[in-house]
Order: sequence, then structure tokens, then C-alpha cells
Amino acid sequence: MNPLQRILHVEDDISIQEVAKVALEIVGGFEVESCDDGQSALARADQWQPDLILLDVMMPGIDGPTTLNKLREQSSTREIPVVFMTAKVQPSEIEHYRSIGALDVVIKPFDPMTLAAQLREIWERAHD
Amino acid sequence: MTDVDVQARLAALREQYGRRLSDDLQTLMAQARELSARQSAIGLDALETLRQGLHRIAGSAGTFGYAALSRNAREMEVWLQTVIESAAQPTPPTLVVLHDRLQESYRDLELAQTSEVVEPEGSYHLASGDRGIRVAVLADGDTDTLIRALSGFGYECRSLDAQATFPQWQPDIAIVDTAKVADEVWKPAVEAAPKAALILLSGAGDFETRLKAVRNGAQGFFTHPVDVPSLEHRLRHLINLPQQDPYRVLIVDDDVDLAEHFRLTLKMAGIESRVISDPRDVLKGLRDFVPDLVLIDINMPGCSGPELARIIRFDDDWLKIPLIYLSAESDAQRQAKALAQAGDDFLVKPISDVALVAAVTARAQRSRQLSLALARDGLTGLIKHPAIKELIELEVARGQRTDTGACVVMIDIDRFKSINDTYGHGTGDYVIRLLANLLRQRLRRVDHVGRYGGEEFVAVLPSCSLENARDAIERIRVSFSELECVADDKTFHATFSAGVSCTQDWRDAETLLEAADRAMYAAKQGGRNQTRIAASRQ
Repeated sequence: MNPLQRILHVEDDISIQEVAKVALEIVGGFEVESCDDGQSALARADQWQPDLILLDVMMPGIDGPTTLNKLREQSSTREIPVVFMTAKVQPSEIEHYRSIGALDVVIKPFDPMTLAAQLREIWERAHD
Repeated sequence: MTDVDVQARLAALREQYGRRLSDDLQTLMAQARELSARQSAIGLDALETLRQGLHRIAGSAGTFGYAALSRNAREMEVWLQTVIESAAQPTPPTLVVLHDRLQESYRDLELAQTSEVVEPEGSYHLASGDRGIRVAVLADGDTDTLIRALSGFGYECRSLDAQATFPQWQPDIAIVDTAKVADEVWKPAVEAAPKAALILLSGAGDFETRLKAVRNGAQGFFTHPVDVPSLEHRLRHLINLPQQDPYRVLIVDDDVDLAEHFRLTLKMAGIESRVISDPRDVLKGLRDFVPDLVLIDINMPGCSGPELARIIRFDDDWLKIPLIYLSAESDAQRQAKALAQAGDDFLVKPISDVALVAAVTARAQRSRQLSLALARDGLTGLIKHPAIKELIELEVARGQRTDTGACVVMIDIDRFKSINDTYGHGTGDYVIRLLANLLRQRLRRVDHVGRYGGEEFVAVLPSCSLENARDAIERIRVSFSELECVADDKTFHATFSAGVSCTQDWRDAETLLEAADRAMYAAKQGGRNQTRIAASRQ
């Protein structure tokens, strides 16, 4: 199993982007890049080839699930695992996101001190 | 990057987010208000915009430490979602409710931001802010008697030259003898040390001289020959006046817009206020906000101002808070009738912003002075037993939340009865005051000291380890035992025994106090003039 290093964070809220960057880069020691919307995420994922994409569900323009579909259509990004980030907490919704191909779901609001550990756990569980 | 750096980065982000959140909430409030005032049907897209705004806050606020606000936003979002999905047309009143809830969140946010205090350092440093109380005397020589007398009470006292040394020394209090020093000499010096409280001494005590002293900014005035105990009493009074927290005003008015205008006007003047639009919420508001003053609209649906004032006065806790009616009532007779029922004063609407601020400030100030005087012990100026117990409970609870422990110290003067018997009660009182002054000066400003009983004192030291607390008290113990006490022509030394306990070993205020008390008795048993630490339960 290759270790988790590069994370692409797709999020329209700049405050969340910044705090997640601190949480993942400084606390977690990952390499992080951020995109403001799904469209630029498609291009960036293709170029940078992250190990994992952390994708906000609700965004203006193309939303999280649509972005996921488009990532799957692109051959260069088809295999990149995607973790959704959402402020919705209904178990049925979480199941729904898994069924459309998300590796897992991280719930907002998140704790900046534990976000990195959470992603690492998801990563390791998926590679068991 | 260390953990501390991460925390600092996060704190900076949190601050930045807080400002944005404040803007976002205001925008949402404006949208809700606009929709609630709309006569025509409300489009789904307008509701959807509101819902998205709430969704954003629900998802982000918790990450930055505003958990309650995040939950609140979530609830509102879910409610709006149901409205949108059912395609029901929301009525203006339901949107007013939404607006009020947003406003509540907004106020909670403001409160959280203004009440945010820098946690005191874990270690026990006597930083520059915690030095002794410095008293500068400007009297052009002949100051020895006064300085010796005040030094005897534990003040750091110096006779200074107005031109050169005075401002550099940064005194807390300046005593100027106007009989010896000319106005044009001392005034510039005092102006150069604006933090010092000014006490003027004078040869004359007539009204004109006193008035002049007031106009010169004096906070104390004494005539020759100076009565040192009353001077010392005044010093204590000046020092006890804490770093003023903003005054707090509870506004009870069903006219939300007007109340909001009052709130903003007071805020501009540095006065915190909270608006309550339903009289039924007033008791909760009093408990949560603990205001210095309550402004009550006299005409409210369901409950009149005087009725509400009487309800408030049922409760002994709120007896000392001034209740001021706000009313369009200019009929003096009807005003008198309202005041006869309950309440303290009238402000007539419409009232100019300046007049409102002036009226509120004057009454809040008086109210706060009164409650300070009531909570403090007359002899020592320290906090009285019930009030210090409350403070201990508060600090213990805070200590447990933040898991930086707090310590409680019990102090008892050794062989106090024999001091009284040998030198008289006057000397006994003098020893108590000596120790009170020493404690007040040597402990940090975040610590609280109270007089617990006759010769017994209690202190609570927040964010302080057991070892640091013991070291601090030990230093005070040694200083105290070295102080020369004077009784008539004899001198003697007094000592104390102390016991220290820490929140890390004991659950609640009661057991903490008991543990400190037991440790103090162990110190007595062990030969007095020493400090003992309470052994933990295990």
C-alpha cells in the first residue's frame, strides 16, 4: 500500500479551505492543494495526480456528486479515491454517497486537530 | 511546527472567520427582515438563498469553535428546508421568528468574541503587572512620616521629584501636596502618568478648594494634618476598583427595532447590552447576562413595565439593580404612580442618543459601586465570604473545563488571639489589614482573595499548579513573618499557616475548601508559620 501523501481539497468556502490546509499540512504532514470549485478540480486532479480528493458536497456550479461523476469519466482521474465532506448528517445520505462511489464521508463541522487522523484511518481501512 | 504554533495559526483563522461570520449573520438577518416585511408572496428562490447561507454556517462554524452557533444554524436550516419542500407559503411572523433567532445567534457571537479573554499563563510569574502597588508622593520634602506610615501598610512608596523621576516610575497612585507643590509643577507631571490615580492634600478644606480638586481630576482629597488610616482606606478603595468591564444593560422592549437602536447606541459608547422582546424571558435574561441596569419599556403587550418591575423585585438577587422605565409618558403624575409600584427612574422617549448614554452610564456606575461595596469586607477591602465562595465555584468549574488546574489557599494568622490579648483589638485589626494588603499585592491580578472569617483568608489562583501556588504562598509567608508590626512603642512579628489544594485532586469547590482547610490545620499542628499541600484522596 502506498502511503497517503497528496490531498486535493475542493471547497468553495475560503475559511474552510484555510483551516483544512493547516489541519492537513501542519498537523497531518500531507501535501495539500485547494480548489474553489468542481470544474477547476477536474483539471487540477488530472495534472497533479493526488492520492486522494477531499470533495465538498454542496458547491455552486457543479456540486460534489457531479464532480465525482466527471472525475470517473476522465481516464487520468478514474482511479483516484474521493472522500466527500458534507454538513448533512442523515445516515441515508452517507449511504447514498458511498453507493455512488465515494470512499467515505467526513462530516462538517470537522475538528482541525483530528481531520488528518480521520483521513489516514479512512485510507488505511480502504487498503486493508 | 510545534503544537503551540498550530494553535496560534488556528486562533488567527478563527478570528478571521469570526469577523466573516458576523458579516454573514448580519446579511442573513437583513434578508429575513426584508422577507418578513414583504406583502407579496415569497419566492422559493429567496428562501433557498437563506437556506444556503444557514447551511454554510452550520457546516463551518463548529470547525472554528462556535459549536452552539453551528447547531442553531442547522436547526434553522432544517426548518427552512421543510418549508421549502412542503411548498407551503411561510407567513411573515414565522420569518420574524427566524430573524429573531438569527439575531440571537449574532448576539451570542458578539458576546463570545468580546468575552474572550487571554488565558493566564500556566506558570506563576509575578509579571510587571503584578508588582506591588506604587504610591508616589510629591510634597517637596517633609514626606518621611507619610511614607513610613504607608509603607507600613505594604505599599511601595517613594518621594519623587515632579520633573524628573515621577513619570518614569509609573506609579499607580500619586499623592500631591498642593500646599507644598505649585500647580504648574505637579500638573504636567501627573498628566505624564495618566494611569496613576490622583489624591490631593491641601491646607484648606473649603468648598471652593474641594471643587478645584475635583476639576483637577482628584479621586481623593485630604486636608492637613492627614489622617493616615482614612488615606489608606481611600488608597484601598482606588485599587479595588478593577479594570472596568463594560457596563451591562438589559433592555426589555417589545419594539425590536427601537431596542436594537438603543443597543447599538449604547454599544458605540462601550456599554454592552442585551435585548429581550418578550417580558417572559426577563428572569432568564437577568440570570444569563447579570446586568448592571435594566431598561424597561412601560407599555408592553401582556405585561406592563411596572408589573414586570415588581416581578423582578420578588427576587432578592436583583434588589440592587436599578430598574429604569423607558416611556413616551411625560405625565408626571402617571410617572409617579408607576414609580410607586416599583422601579427607580424614568427616561422619556424620544430620547437623544447622548442623553440615553449619559443617563445609563451614571446609573450603571452607581449600581456597580454599590454592589462592589456590598461584596467587600469593610476592614480589609477584600471579598466577603459568600462572594469569594461563588468565585471559587466559578474558577473551579472553569479549571475543570480548561484542564489547567486552579488552586485554593486557606490562610490563618498564627496565635491571633494572643495578639489581640497582648496588644488590643486595634492592633489585631491592623495585623489583619497588613496581611490583606500583602496578599492583594503579591498575588496576580487574576487571583481572588477573600476574608473568610476573623483571621482567616482564602485565595483562589486560576491556571496555577500546586507547586507554583505553594511557592507563591511561601514567598508571601516569609515576607509577612519579616514585617515589623508596631503596637504603641513595642514591635513584634506575626506569622501565618497556609494549606493549598488543587482542582486536579478534588472535584468541587466544597471538597477543595475542606482539603485546603485540613492542610492548613496540618501546618498548625506541624508548628505553625508554614505551608502544607493537601494530600490527594488516593
